[in-house]
Amino acid sequence: MHIPDGFLHPLILAGTATLSAVAVAVAARKAQRELEESRFALLGVTGAFVFAAQMVNFPLGFGTSSHLLGGMLLAVTLGLAPAMVTMTAILVVQALVFQDGGVLALGANVLNMAVAGIAAGYLPYALWSRGRLRWFAILAGGFLSVVASGAMAMAELVLSGVRIPAALLWSSAVLLTASGLLEGLLTLAVVRALRALQPSALERAQVRRSQAVLGVLAVLLAGGIVAVASEAPDVLDSLADRVGIAERARALLTTPLAEYRLSWAPGSWWSQATAGLLGLALTYGAGVALARALRRRRSA
Amino acid sequence: MHHVVLDEWGRRPGWLQKRDARVKLVALLGYLIALGTAPPLALPAAAGFGALAAAGVVLGKLPAGAVALRAALVLPIGLFLAAGLLLGGAALRAGDLLVRSYLSAVAVLVVMGTTPMAGLLRAMESLGVPRFLVVVLHFLYRYLFVLSEQAQHMRLAVRSRGLDRAGLRRCPSLWKAAGGALAVLFARSLARAEAIHRAMLARGYRGQVLWLRAARMRPGDWLFLAVALTLCAAVRVVLAHAG
Repeated sequence: MHIPDGFLHPLILAGTATLSAVAVAVAARKAQRELEESRFALLGVTGAFVFAAQMVNFPLGFGTSSHLLGGMLLAVTLGLAPAMVTMTAILVVQALVFQDGGVLALGANVLNMAVAGIAAGYLPYALWSRGRLRWFAILAGGFLSVVASGAMAMAELVLSGVRIPAALLWSSAVLLTASGLLEGLLTLAVVRALRALQPSALERAQVRRSQAVLGVLAVLLAGGIVAVASEAPDVLDSLADRVGIAERARALLTTPLAEYRLSWAPGSWWSQATAGLLGLALTYGAGVALARALRRRRSA
Repeated sequence: MHHVVLDEWGRRPGWLQKRDARVKLVALLGYLIALGTAPPLALPAAAGFGALAAAGVVLGKLPAGAVALRAALVLPIGLFLAAGLLLGGAALRAGDLLVRSYLSAVAVLVVMGTTPMAGLLRAMESLGVPRFLVVVLHFLYRYLFVLSEQAQHMRLAVRSRGLDRAGLRRCPSLWKAAGGALAVLFARSLARAEAIHRAMLARGYRGQVLWLRAARMRPGDWLFLAVALTLCAAVRVVLAHAG
């Protein structure tokens, strides 16, 4: 599920953007090393394939059909880190060219679908890809990738103060489970056909057991954020209280327009706006400096 | 097709089209952050943010109706997400979220409609996005429409061999067929990637997109950056609290 701009709390935006920037930078570095720069076209073209694949409909009966989302297929054919980079590129193009998901919300969408979704989906595959459970691993991986990213998106929305009534929440959960099962089945159908057609496509990626750790981390992250959202949807509010931006957060989280007008002391906007901009500039500067330093050390 | 429209807009003789892509990217982020962190939008603030987006449409000589229509693509999922608030009686907050997401989409379209994708990716790279990701994005955007066309050709081939919708419905192993079609498309994509790789190596590619001309900031770029960021901050700070 692609979250558009405007729905997420600034703290969620900042947190998810930081997490996914780090994760994607590490994944890009790993992918580049794994592919030895010799297959630079591969990730882009497989990413384009995912777009094209969404035009092939799988009939479900009852006059409905569905299409592949592709995260698990990328993970199985490319490997963990390259799949994360490819999925990130797909999400960037969807946000910029197709207005599918927001640009500021890209941090959250990348974290949900490209980082946590793919890592969670890879968990069963990393454990069982060689044994007799291989087909089940792909099925379970497709399921986990969709459910983890969908659950994280819902939790981030709830934490941002987008109230969702219980009935709607339950029906979304059912929908999520169904589309997770479907993604597993679709991935399985494609992988089986691919094994008959071109087995070498499935041997490109080296599966390492140790990668399961990342999958466990992703599942824990998804579970944790869902637990926080369901136990304490107002946690950002109290956190904001402590950090000292209570007024602003309350104005964002709770509806009444009148409230923030009263609670905003004149003069405090400027300091907050300046502090926010300064913090942003500092974070960006630190990130660029770190990247430069890493690059220099690597080339030295 | 979508990309054709954006590319056509990018070639229009607007003032925004001539601006450096980095400046437009930073201005877009400034606008989105100002909009995303503003307290619930009262009328003056919403009008202010709307006026800024409209100014972008005018400066880029973009067709206003088409931009407005394309930006509406975000509304269905926005409505879905805001449904809980609407049902819960917080219609004002739901409207606030929808206006924000719509204005954000207009701003993204203004930048995308005045900047060719290649220039935008170059700007992303010079602003610190990992080069490897930028290279992947180059290839993804280049082959997106090639592969979509290939999928359409395959679909046409199935149809022209006599398998229409009704026939498909009677087919016993339809899933297998669809899975097979995707596997064929995937295998062809891999072969295509391999061919591109060899062709580019033969032409001297070293893992980085090279440009004939260095990007240089002109006075107009600095002017645009300063004015855009100042206006975004002004609307965020003054109007958002004046309502």
